[in-house]
Amino acid sequence: MRNPAHAVRPAADPIVRIDGLSKQFPNGPLALDQVSLAVPRGQLLCLIGLSGSGKSTLLRHLNGLHRPTSGDVEVMGVDVVRAKRSQLRELRREVGFVFQQFGLVGRLSCLENVLSGALGRLRAPRFGVLSYSTALRRQALEHLDRVGLADRAFQRSDTLSGGQMQRVAIARTLMQEPTLLLADEPVASLDPESSAQVMDVLFRIVVEEQLTVICTLHQVELALGWANRIVGLRDGHLVLDQPVAELDEREVMDVYRRVEPGAGPAASPDRAGERRATRIRS
Amino acid sequence: MTALVDRPTAPASEPAQRLRPPVTRRTLLLRLVLVGFLVATVWAWFFIDMSLTAMFGGLGDMARLLGRMTPPRFDDLDQAIDLAFETLWMAVIGTALAVLLSVPLAFGAARNTTPHAVVMAVCRGVIVATRAIPDLIFAAIFVRALSIGVLPGILALGVHSIGMIGKLFADAIEQVDEKPREAVQSVGAGKWQAIATSVVPQIIPGVIATTLYRLDINLRSSTVLGIVGAGGIGFLLQQNLRSLQYDRALGVVIVIFVFITVMEFLSAAVRTTLLGGDRASAGGRAPKGSIGAALARRIGAAGPSRQGVEEFDPDTVRPPFRGERRTKTIYAVGFAVLLGIALRSVQLNPFEVLGSLSDMGRVALRLLPPDFTTARDGIWTGMLESIAVALVATFLGAIVSMPLGLLAARNVAVNRAVYLAARLFVVFLRGVPELIVAVLFVSAIGLGPVAGTFALVVGTAGFFAKLIADAVEEVDPAPRDAVFATGATRSQETLVSVVPQAMPALVGNLLYVLDINLRVSTVLGIVGGGGIGFLLFNSLRVLRWETTGAILIAIFAVVYAIELLAGWVRKQLL
Repeated sequence: MRNPAHAVRPAADPIVRIDGLSKQFPNGPLALDQVSLAVPRGQLLCLIGLSGSGKSTLLRHLNGLHRPTSGDVEVMGVDVVRAKRSQLRELRREVGFVFQQFGLVGRLSCLENVLSGALGRLRAPRFGVLSYSTALRRQALEHLDRVGLADRAFQRSDTLSGGQMQRVAIARTLMQEPTLLLADEPVASLDPESSAQVMDVLFRIVVEEQLTVICTLHQVELALGWANRIVGLRDGHLVLDQPVAELDEREVMDVYRRVEPGAGPAASPDRAGERRATRIRS
Repeated sequence: MTALVDRPTAPASEPAQRLRPPVTRRTLLLRLVLVGFLVATVWAWFFIDMSLTAMFGGLGDMARLLGRMTPPRFDDLDQAIDLAFETLWMAVIGTALAVLLSVPLAFGAARNTTPHAVVMAVCRGVIVATRAIPDLIFAAIFVRALSIGVLPGILALGVHSIGMIGKLFADAIEQVDEKPREAVQSVGAGKWQAIATSVVPQIIPGVIATTLYRLDINLRSSTVLGIVGAGGIGFLLQQNLRSLQYDRALGVVIVIFVFITVMEFLSAAVRTTLLGGDRASAGGRAPKGSIGAALARRIGAAGPSRQGVEEFDPDTVRPPFRGERRTKTIYAVGFAVLLGIALRSVQLNPFEVLGSLSDMGRVALRLLPPDFTTARDGIWTGMLESIAVALVATFLGAIVSMPLGLLAARNVAVNRAVYLAARLFVVFLRGVPELIVAVLFVSAIGLGPVAGTFALVVGTAGFFAKLIADAVEEVDPAPRDAVFATGATRSQETLVSVVPQAMPALVGNLLYVLDINLRVSTVLGIVGGGGIGFLLFNSLRVLRWETTGAILIAIFAVVYAIELLAGWVRKQLL
């Protein structure tokens, strides 16, 4: 296993650069309001915030699943906003995405779901496990083995438990051989034990593969133990952006507008968060 | 946290090096069914002398016929519109008659309400038999037995509709939650009291949905009954074609097309208002966000959304006349008025309709004893030909409708223009009933099963494409996003995440379409499109009632066998 310390190594070239990103859904709220962010290579970044604060929307802009209303998004040198379909496809190949609801096709076997991760590298449409080459199938099986589910390869994926499904989804992401991993609440719909298992697998892989990670999480303790930078969103605004080393749990909880019992009636959490955010940016 | 990294990883042993999916009973069965279907189709292809040259030649003939038909002439437009309305009234009365007859049959056929096992068996027998025999055959028989006119048409619609309505009503009754009934019975209510207060309210939505759905089907099928002289606009078409006035015939076809399309939109709107968005699927159609739903919103009718806590007024002990209750009352009164207008327009009094039911008993007796011997070879080859036509038409229709259905699904279509064009094309294909298309193809390329097959392909393509599009629109978008996120192209994504998700619906609907095509192919012969229908119609013409009886039994046996087979396969696979 490689040294996990690689993650903290400072890197000059940002792998993700977001500038003044706003997103207005038709008939909906302003999901993102002038968000700017730069993520250096190798960073483990956790996005936190209440449901509806714009975390998932932000992630989905990074691989072009959403198009911004205004602002710029550049990922690995690709201008996502103005990218052509083929460029976007190229980019998506390099960017793994782990969804809260796993995004498995329930009626297909685990192996076929994992194999679909290779589609970005393939030209023609595929149908059925046997339409993929033996080499790809072997590779997919290895990835399933890495997440501990090789024995379930030919089981229908909708017969698995939630934690197992998420591990299959991770194996599918591995199949892409990504450099950047986006994870949208990967454990939000799992029980604590499965969550620990999934995060364990995910973290091990991230370290082994030296991936850059942007992960949205609800569990603040998990985020603090895991990430080396935390970004907080509230109502589409960036309200917190700090390295984990300089943070304590109370400051992070401010993002959730919750005041810990011992904290007392200090400054309005709103303001504190915003001030911090401006400080970081300037 | 980093401690987690050191936790023992999954067993490092060699993963099972199995790289092909294991063959399970299910996959084996699926393959057997697929191979069986293909082999049968190949047999059928040669049996009806189908060939690629015949196909393209046929299309050429059809194009020439269309050339002779254009420009359409609307000389008898007044008559056509009158007959279109007559068609509408026939469908309304026929459906009402079927509901009336189906209610007692359904309560007799449902396991939980039947008074006796024998009653149940008889009721189920009637339901199965009326479903298996197509309405056009009933119409042909009634026309011979009674007279030419709307009455035999209405009776045919009514009797055949019992098969579907009775079955769906009985299913609804059997799926009722039994607990309220126990509660009502435990306060001392009698059996029928309990049924009225606990079973009936539960089945009402299902009853409305089924009735509307059937009305929809009857509106469509009543347009062809005139071909055998059972009233409605089909008669005019037949007349124009017989006298080789093709341009007038096209005029009539256009009137039929407009009639059916308008009715489709209207009934979709009525269905959405009465049943609400979430209930629309009870009838198996009208997906959320359909044009009907939009129309319903525009009309501003009240759906179930208006529910809520109503203010209670202790002085008037009656529910407020608002929201859903008002909508439903308006529709009930509306339907009663419609029925009244219908009966007046076709100059029938309701007792005459009910009275003629006893005539039907006499007709049934004449069919006995069935005579299989006189026309044995004819029945045999006719039946095989009908099966062959159904198989080839289903196969070709499926090939056409797969891509068409995907393009007509809002969530898969390349863009909105393609989606609209595909949907419009589907509506166009569905706008003219198979039998009328068959009449046209027979005029174009002559008598025989090839003409019938063409007609069925057109019908199948429209119907199956619509079913596919509806199924595909209900696919879960989450896995699709996930597959797109790996960098897959559109076509890759469609095959990997959309098609597998829709597969149960696709297979189920394919079997359903085969089932329907077999029914239609038994009547194609009436207009010269091949199959058993020709022999049946001839036996009626020369009043060989016993032979007719034998043919009916043969049709029933085959249609029912296919229905059972399809049901079994569906259960095994899904």
